[in-house]
Amino acid sequence: MNVSIVNFSRTLVAATVASVLLAACAAAPVKPQGAVAVRSKLTQLQADPNLGTRAPLAIKEADSAVLAAEQPEADLPLAQHRVYMADRKVEMARAQAEVRFAEDQRATLTQQRETARLDSRTHEADAAKLQVAVARADSAEQKLAADQARGDANAAQAAVASAAQQAAELQRRIDELQARPTDRGLVLTLGDVLFTSGQADLKSGAAGNLDKLISFLTEYPTRTVMIEGFTDSLGSDDFNQGLSQRRADSVKSYLVGRGVGSTRLTTTGRGESGPVASNESASGRQQNRRVEVVISNPPAAALR
Amino acid sequence: MKRISQALRASRLPLAATFTGVLILAGCASTPPAPLANLAAARLAVSNAERGDGDHFAATDMSAARSRLVAADAAVVERKMILAERYADESRADAEVASAKTASAKAMKVNDEMKQSTGTLIEEMKRTSGDKP
Repeated sequence: MNVSIVNFSRTLVAATVASVLLAACAAAPVKPQGAVAVRSKLTQLQADPNLGTRAPLAIKEADSAVLAAEQPEADLPLAQHRVYMADRKVEMARAQAEVRFAEDQRATLTQQRETARLDSRTHEADAAKLQVAVARADSAEQKLAADQARGDANAAQAAVASAAQQAAELQRRIDELQARPTDRGLVLTLGDVLFTSGQADLKSGAAGNLDKLISFLTEYPTRTVMIEGFTDSLGSDDFNQGLSQRRADSVKSYLVGRGVGSTRLTTTGRGESGPVASNESASGRQQNRRVEVVISNPPAAALR
Repeated sequence: MKRISQALRASRLPLAATFTGVLILAGCASTPPAPLANLAAARLAVSNAERGDGDHFAATDMSAARSRLVAADAAVVERKMILAERYADESRADAEVASAKTASAKAMKVNDEMKQSTGTLIEEMKRTSGDKP
């Protein structure tokens, strides 16, 4: 009996010791310190949308290392070594994934840069084109202005030339008329020989002289004409006055008959007044018997 | 028969020497050999990282790699070969991480420069088109 009690108590002690040892063993399956942190680091990397799938081999290695680090280990330095190595593997995987990600991004970046370069070149070309167009427009404008200036100059020159030409033409016509410029205007003297003696009728020979006058008046329509009749001192004043008036009228009616407007023509009988030579001699009296056609000077502005 | 026994007797000395040698060797075997391969690999990894300018881009990892290599060498001197092996492996891992981080930093730098130059181009274009509408 004593023996059996002793045996029982020995068994009890042994069981207690064993259970204590077992408890110690049961306490051991705890992850080594730091393992949880490393696992979470790896999980974070795996969940990263940019990096999670980019270094599969390194991540697999890291996972194995983390699994090893998570194993309960009584040898604490070894456990810490495993945790450290696992941490390095995770870091390694992250860095490799980053490199891969950067390389993948580079294709897009290169494309973006090429696009920007192309845009920039297109833009430069457009700007250059615009400049050329502006320059061209400028030069066209300048050319136009130059042309215009030249045109103006030509016109002015032409105007001058034309004025000179007109003046020359006028002078030629005046010369043709054998008219004498005076303060009152151009004076054309129709001599006594053009009229039948003592009569107001024009001789046919007068037509040549008067036709030149008509053509001149047609050419210069702004000019008006005053027709004045004169006689010598022979005969009564009344007769002479009447004769000079009729002769002036006769010239007027000839001109009107050839198309010169009657409103441009005025007539005056001056009789014996206004002799141009002495009435003592026959030649002087002949000079005094005459009709003077005074063509008014034009208004200064309108030459014609 | 006598010759044989004499021969056996004569060979006792070398036999004893051999036995002693085996004992000595066994004594040596109780201390593991130095982790020469691990140490060499760590040194190589550190010098590779140094050449890749790891000190600039991953200074912390580089200094960890170096101090662990020093610790590994010290452990060898103390004949703590297991510890030396662990230090050597950790040093190598540090150096390799430094290299990888350096590569990553360089790749990102290149990308940043590309982004910047593209941005500059676009800015330049906007500016010139602002000048000439």
